[in-house]
Amino acid sequence: MARMLVSPASPATRDRSLAGFARGVKLGTPVLLGYIPIAIAFGVLARTAGLTVFQTVACSMLVFAGSGQFIAIAMIGAGASAPSILVTTAVLNLRHILFGATLQPYLSHVPLREQALIATGITDESFAVNVTDLRGGSASASSVAGVEFVSWSGWQIGTIIGAVATGFVGDPSRWGLGFAMAAMFTALLVATAEDRRHVIVAVVACCLAAAFMLVLPSQWSIVATAVIAAGVGAAVFR
Amino acid sequence: MSPVYVWTIILGMAVTNYVLRAAPFLVLSRVELPTWAQRWLDFVPVSVMSALVVSEVLRPGGAWLLPWENPYLWASMGTGLVYWRWRSLIGSTLAGIAMFIALRCLLGVLPI
Repeated sequence: MARMLVSPASPATRDRSLAGFARGVKLGTPVLLGYIPIAIAFGVLARTAGLTVFQTVACSMLVFAGSGQFIAIAMIGAGASAPSILVTTAVLNLRHILFGATLQPYLSHVPLREQALIATGITDESFAVNVTDLRGGSASASSVAGVEFVSWSGWQIGTIIGAVATGFVGDPSRWGLGFAMAAMFTALLVATAEDRRHVIVAVVACCLAAAFMLVLPSQWSIVATAVIAAGVGAAVFR
Repeated sequence: MSPVYVWTIILGMAVTNYVLRAAPFLVLSRVELPTWAQRWLDFVPVSVMSALVVSEVLRPGGAWLLPWENPYLWASMGTGLVYWRWRSLIGSTLAGIAMFIALRCLLGVLPI
């Protein structure tokens, strides 16, 4: 096999130019376009659950975690306590630890304060786009930041539209937007399945996820699947 | 709904999320990862995406759907094929939404 089985992360290029950032913005634009409808749905649901426009927008700006925000709104609607919402969303977002750990080796030469800034923009989608680009070898810290910035912007634009125009949008599911998130995840699954080993791990992960969903709350099934399926991959393909 | 309740949730989630995102950067800038952990991380992206797709597609909106009444499942497979063939994130997302709407009408399980 041509590719080294254990491929230590080769560092991102040291390009710090504006062109690198612009390259990231271009790479991340599909995420921006995908985020807008999903964030519109979030804005509408948050307002319907009783949040003010300001609270809805602040939530997207500060939290910037799609699935976590949706779960929080659903739980607020169901009258859950604040601690139970915080614990549930924390478990759901445990996967961000894995994302940070995957990105860091590529960015170890970048000053820590810039790494801390890059950490703020990690989402499922920006991570998948960036990790694919980093593996390709032409990414830089600037391009990583560009992807994250444009993704964040899309999330804010959509949230503002949804929060302000709640009455005009109506039920977001009418427009088939309930599938937008699943569509992006599916495309990014294919993007991250680089070679035969990754495809096999993907099949294992899909089966594990379906099994865990039967026995665990969804926030746990995602993190359990990720940890175990990646472990199977590491154990089998040495 | 009291503002304190809402702001506790928003700010609590903001802090927790940032800690989860930033902790690995702080830790790994001091510690070198052993080889087995690097190998494990190589499979993390594809594993997480698999788990997210399966949970979005088999139990959309929190309710299980059987394969023959599940437009999410079939539209997701179509989306995967479109991405595999053309490598366009936005193209496959839009094609996926179109397939989803068509399948939803075809299967006639949800209101249009």
